[in-house]
Amino acid sequence: MTTSENSPWDGDGDDILAGEYVLGVLPVSERRRVESRLVEDQVFARVVSRWEADLSAFNAVYAEVSPPTGLYARIEARLFGAASRTGASSPAASLWNSLVLWRGLSFACAAALVAYIGFNGGWVGEAKPSLPLVAELSGKDAGSLTLMAHYDTESGRLQLAPVSAGPAAQHSLELWLVPGGTDPAISLGVLPQTGEGAVEVPEALRPRLGEGVTFAVSLEPLGGSPEGKPTGPVIAVGQARRP
Amino acid sequence: MSSEANIANLIQRVALRDRAALAQLYPAVSPKLFSVCLRILRDRSDAEDALQEVFIKIWQRADRFAVAGTSPVGWLVAIARNHSIDRLRSRKPVSDSIDEAYTIADTGRDPEAETVLKGEGRRVDLCMQELEPDRADAVRNAYVEGLSYQELADRYSVPLNTMRTWLRRSLMKLRECLDR
Repeated sequence: MTTSENSPWDGDGDDILAGEYVLGVLPVSERRRVESRLVEDQVFARVVSRWEADLSAFNAVYAEVSPPTGLYARIEARLFGAASRTGASSPAASLWNSLVLWRGLSFACAAALVAYIGFNGGWVGEAKPSLPLVAELSGKDAGSLTLMAHYDTESGRLQLAPVSAGPAAQHSLELWLVPGGTDPAISLGVLPQTGEGAVEVPEALRPRLGEGVTFAVSLEPLGGSPEGKPTGPVIAVGQARRP
Repeated sequence: MSSEANIANLIQRVALRDRAALAQLYPAVSPKLFSVCLRILRDRSDAEDALQEVFIKIWQRADRFAVAGTSPVGWLVAIARNHSIDRLRSRKPVSDSIDEAYTIADTGRDPEAETVLKGEGRRVDLCMQELEPDRADAVRNAYVEGLSYQELADRYSVPLNTMRTWLRRSLMKLRECLDR
């Protein structure tokens, strides 16, 4: 056994105290005293570590017992707060994760958005006093959707038709008008799952529909966004123009 | 159970505040650590609370593991044992009934599966054989169950001071043997 000149080393006495500490037989007050010494006395700390290593062979008798499910969620909630669970455990958490995933996808969609503005003579049909607005709404990733939008300025009717298939049916497709500038997106309503359908644009909004406005479709919880603004990924987006 | 190297790596990542690493460490080691808490506390709900505290300590102290240079599982078990023993000692003196948790911890024992813990600690088993059987038994039970001197004295029907002498002498003999 070696000693250090700087340590209040008490030879065998300390060695036995360290052993008693590691065995766990000391009362609380003495355990606290040992622990405060561990912080300031490196030699004593090594004596304790050595006992821990030597006696760790006894650890083999602790046969594994699975803790109850849900315990880790409680640990995470205590460490990181309830909202920040990485959520390996609960179904709600995995839904949350999938939304995060979707949201990640939406950034890719937005970045790669094709703002192809279609002029489609066939759609326009015979000439009308005021020209309709058309837009192709698309996204590039799997699970995205391409829609053709056709807005009849006379009737205020916005007709949508899917060009490619959309995502599975656990979500609602919500159509948004993005007026531009700093104005928030305005919901135009929830579309049928296929993306095919028509939306009656409210009178008050009609003046805002013009060239350059953006239409977007986001994935929302069934029934539409609970918050009045897009909460899910944008899976299709496009700008309106006069044909 | 994952290998020692994997667990060491996870602890080091936890030290870097990697939440995903903590989420991986939990399934790998929680059954072992829960067993420690159950065995010492002998109360299931108390052991569940203790296990939460143990993982919070692991998160907070992971940065100290790198310098410790010891077996990662041994390091984790030490945290679980120390926390459980502190909890036990701080508990109001309550009935000492051995409930089913004790039995649960004891069933399904599979020493063959515990290979992770092989290594330097093995030597103590040889040295334990040099102790008188009842004293070796007292040392082992003190460690495994976190028994106090008084509980050990009661269990082996000897006066408190006799038990203290038993254990201290046993520790001296073990140290001599281990240093040989």
